Amino acid sequence: MASRETGRAKETGNRRVLDEAGRRRRARKALEALEQDNFHEDPHANLVMSKKAPKFEELLDSHGRSKERKRKTRSADYFKQRYRKNFAMLLEEDQLSNPDGPNYLTAQAGASQLPERHLCAVCGFPSPYNCVACGARYCSTRCYSTHQDTRCLKYTA
Amino acid sequence: MTSNVFIMDNGAHTIKAGYSNQTEPRVLLNAVMKAKSERRRPFIGDQLDDCRDASGLFYILPFQKGYLVNWDVQKTVWDYVFSKEIFNVNHASTTLIVTEPFFNFTSIQEAMSEIFFEEYEVDALLRINAGDLSVHKYHRDRPKELCCLLVDSGFSFTHIAPYIQGKKQKDAIIRIEMGGKMLTNHLKDIVSYRQLNVMDETYVINQVKEDSCFVSADFNADMKKARLKPPANDILRDYVLPDFTTIKRGYLRSLEESNGKSPNNEQLIRLNNERFAVPELLFRPSDIGVPQQGVAEAVVQAISSCPEETRPHLYRNIFLTGGNCNIPGFCERVYSEVRSAAPAEYQVNVSLAKGPTQYAWHGGAAVSQSAQFPEQLVTRDDWEESGFSACSAKFSV
Repeated sequence: MASRETGRAKETGNRRVLDEAGRRRRARKALEALEQDNFHEDPHANLVMSKKAPKFEELLDSHGRSKERKRKTRSADYFKQRYRKNFAMLLEEDQLSNPDGPNYLTAQAGASQLPERHLCAVCGFPSPYNCVACGARYCSTRCYSTHQDTRCLKYTA
Repeated sequence: MTSNVFIMDNGAHTIKAGYSNQTEPRVLLNAVMKAKSERRRPFIGDQLDDCRDASGLFYILPFQKGYLVNWDVQKTVWDYVFSKEIFNVNHASTTLIVTEPFFNFTSIQEAMSEIFFEEYEVDALLRINAGDLSVHKYHRDRPKELCCLLVDSGFSFTHIAPYIQGKKQKDAIIRIEMGGKMLTNHLKDIVSYRQLNVMDETYVINQVKEDSCFVSADFNADMKKARLKPPANDILRDYVLPDFTTIKRGYLRSLEESNGKSPNNEQLIRLNNERFAVPELLFRPSDIGVPQQGVAEAVVQAISSCPEETRPHLYRNIFLTGGNCNIPGFCERVYSEVRSAAPAEYQVNVSLAKGPTQYAWHGGAAVSQSAQFPEQLVTRDDWEESGFSACSAKFSV
């Protein structure tokens, strides 16, 4: 005779649950996405452009201009090469040269004293419940099923 | 020799530029943009006005997290600003005031000074924090006040900076990593998840944000109201998205017209709690998991790290600048939150800059007329004599 247990209990047993580290990684990724300039790819990326083709205005006055200027202005590319430092490098350099502050890192706002608010990840309204699997907030069964169908444990690399 | 003064408030999203004798600066996007519809050329700054279809606009920004890193892009935009199409700046006879963020990195300062002296060959240069310019103007307009607490909420971040007798208190400056870019991207995210995929439409959603968002005076009450059905819910609105053929710019429908119907097949998005939950992030960054204080909390914190005798003056002179302060209700919310957190014996005064986006530029115009202005400058001769050390001696960031 089969053991007496409910189907629900069996289901919770083998449900995948995201651990704390995974949840934090996910939250960090979501924040990084908010820093992005663009979501999509450069629409002109595959475009082959002939850089040599001059525009109309350039053709007209390029003759006079070349006499006027003694020195050829440097191209934008020169500056790209000359000051090639990304944000992380700048920050590191700043930490080395000025470790005690006040500097970029010391100016960062501290943690809030106010209690965190719980807002539904689907509809944005105040929400009393947590998704067991991934920790996202939800406010109703309707939002919960939307959450399960779309975001819960999806796109986790 | 008196030379022209050209002021350039070099923001991460828009440049506010113009000669000091102009009444208003010209505001143009600090970016190079590519449109799907126009394959032949990129658009620089306000050339975007020539673009008929701005859907799927691709931005190339010179700034990253509020600091200048893509010099090739920045150079392209600056060239355009100085060109005869716009200002036709003759650098040899021009004094330039250019702004930079608080705690600007040393190598960015070096690069900037070098570009202006070596490449553009300006006559004299003043590199300064945009906040210093705003505070200068604030004190000029209100000569009796001794201190000023500046809130500058821009595209990349929000700074809270106390100034005591016009002097910036560097160790008390607080930066909240929440700005217009985050707000737009967050709005884009939630609209895409809840209604319609607009992930590629940063440009359009930025307009949606500017047209429809407001700062809630009472978040919980507004949330309750947003749950209700239309007659009782006066927050719910329809936003008509632009299609770039008949509708060039999207607009918010009035309360009566927000019925969810589109007789002429306009594309709509319904905005409900999004309208105030998005700007709310400035006051509660923790809503999307940024573990930082909100604006009002940071104001109180910044003031309490200043000497006690200056605190009453600071509470009395809270001053808001930067593009996010254009959001309706911002000023009132800062006041009510600071008022309830500040000691009762202090008088709290919060004022909003007239034209919060352009205020720093006007500050620049005021600085250029001040008596100390010539002493603040680094001239061509100084630069040729001692190079960057002349700049680091005179400029404070």
